[in-house]
Amino acid sequence: MSLRQSMAGLHTWGGLLPSWLLYVIILAGTIACFDKELDRWMRPALHAGEQASMGADQVRDWLQRNVKDELHAFWMHPPTEREPYWRLGWEVDKTQRVQSIAFDPASGQPMAETVGGDFFFVLHYALHAGQAGIYIVGLAGMFMLVALVSGVIIHRRIFKDFFTLRPRANGQRAWLDAHNLFGVVGFPFHLVLAYTGVAIFVSSYMPAGLQVAYQNDVEHFFSEVMGAYHREELHRPAAPPVSLDALVAESRQRWGGGEPGWISVHHPGDASAVVDIRRFGTSRIAQPKETLTYDAASGELLHRQQAPAGYSTYSWLAGLHMAQFGGSLVRALYLLLGLAGCALLVGGIQVWLRKREARGGAGIGVVRALNGAVFAGLPLASLALLWGNRLIPAGLAERASAEAWVFVGSWLLVALWAVLARRQPRRLLSQQLALGAVLASGLPLLNGLTSAQGHLLASLPRGDWALAGVDLFLLAGGLLCALCAWHLAKPQAVAPARGRRVLAEEVA
Amino acid sequence: MSKHSPLSRWSIAARVLAALVGGYALAYGCTAFLSVYLPLARPDRVTFASLLSFAIWTAAVIYVFAARRARHVWLWLVGLTLLLCLAAFLPTQFGVRP
Repeated sequence: MSLRQSMAGLHTWGGLLPSWLLYVIILAGTIACFDKELDRWMRPALHAGEQASMGADQVRDWLQRNVKDELHAFWMHPPTEREPYWRLGWEVDKTQRVQSIAFDPASGQPMAETVGGDFFFVLHYALHAGQAGIYIVGLAGMFMLVALVSGVIIHRRIFKDFFTLRPRANGQRAWLDAHNLFGVVGFPFHLVLAYTGVAIFVSSYMPAGLQVAYQNDVEHFFSEVMGAYHREELHRPAAPPVSLDALVAESRQRWGGGEPGWISVHHPGDASAVVDIRRFGTSRIAQPKETLTYDAASGELLHRQQAPAGYSTYSWLAGLHMAQFGGSLVRALYLLLGLAGCALLVGGIQVWLRKREARGGAGIGVVRALNGAVFAGLPLASLALLWGNRLIPAGLAERASAEAWVFVGSWLLVALWAVLARRQPRRLLSQQLALGAVLASGLPLLNGLTSAQGHLLASLPRGDWALAGVDLFLLAGGLLCALCAWHLAKPQAVAPARGRRVLAEEVA
Repeated sequence: MSKHSPLSRWSIAARVLAALVGGYALAYGCTAFLSVYLPLARPDRVTFASLLSFAIWTAAVIYVFAARRARHVWLWLVGLTLLLCLAAFLPTQFGVRP
């Protein structure tokens, strides 16, 4: 068997099997490029764009008044341009359960609960399955790397295919052209994002260095590798804490004008309590590594982060993946290339399917059902989640979980529908697209009905592109779905017979 | 490929196993080895070695499926992993140097 043949087998099967999982990961990550804009869309209290007037001490006061448990840690984010409100999170000691609150900038009270844009971010890296999900996503990332490399090896005409698209050729050839086109255009991006993606959780995936060079001492490992500070608990009650706002002001001065992005307090009830103030920045690929650590009671500066070269490299790679630099233009590019990745997966599966539909083969029904359940299921369930976000009453207890159940329930319904209708994939797709068109284009209207300041007629005149962009994207997506549904619903024309060249890739 | 493939079900299963487990083991061995022997400070040794591990795993998977004989694949993977891990884990004092 030649190298090309064995790599073709590896690419076909190693690409097919994880492709639905990879689709979920890539599409969720693509949506998460604009997670903070989506977050604002999902919180009508933020639509008017008011500035928050709270300070870090007021946020801590709220926590002390409302949460009486012993805390392992709490942390907060001051308002930024994309997230114009205070966020607070905490972990109760010995529970490992994290809770979080977002504060209404106008009233200083907690806003109605929502899963927010963060939902797609967590879906992207952990599938909402905790540590197990992180490992599953990592393995899928390795499959993606192998599929990309084997795809290049079997692809001889990489330059020529860049300019080849034959939409009127027979189905398999046209889909192969599309698969190649998206694969070649997006290749550098997809390779870099797959590698940096698995690299982010390197300490979970590859513990060899921790074991051999740090003898499994996790605290020592992290503090030395990150150049960070760690203090063991003293088990004595804490003295009254110093003002956080004063520490923030001091940090600004020490950085020479930088902004804080993350303020965290470890063991706030213990005499060992320390305050970490992390610097925030969007002007470079890597986030700044200039965390300042203070004693929570005296305010004394204990440590200034000194990141070793390796950790700087790591955070550059992580920053390249997370796209928090360079503004909306970079994120829009990531969004487009992420969508190209989804198209690459869909195209690849269609090549597999068309070839086997022509000559018969096992598994066609399963693949069709999975296509309908996942490729349409995730976008439809995401749209349903946004509908749920607006239709679930603001005061409902456990509102965020209700939203998540809307997502899960609607996805299960679409999956059931796809399984039942798998014998008529064209009709199924056309109906799913029609439903997508209704759901997507209905959302800007629903936004207008449920938020006085959030709809397009209000957001466009005040130049609020972050908020209007979500509505406009939904409208454009809905229109595109409607066009495709209409096109598919037309009676199918019989394709004229054409002379057909058999290429090595088709035999593969 | 399935129609004219000379590979049996078992030989495919063996290669898949070699790619998943053997490939990871080799990446693990290389990371442990480089974490000890790279001429850098300890945090940098560990970080650079770990960041490289995914490239090693990917290359190992490609090799596993490209190689003509499954026996050679197993010999190389097991042999190299064993050597690298022995070299990494035996000199404990050298491995934990700052």
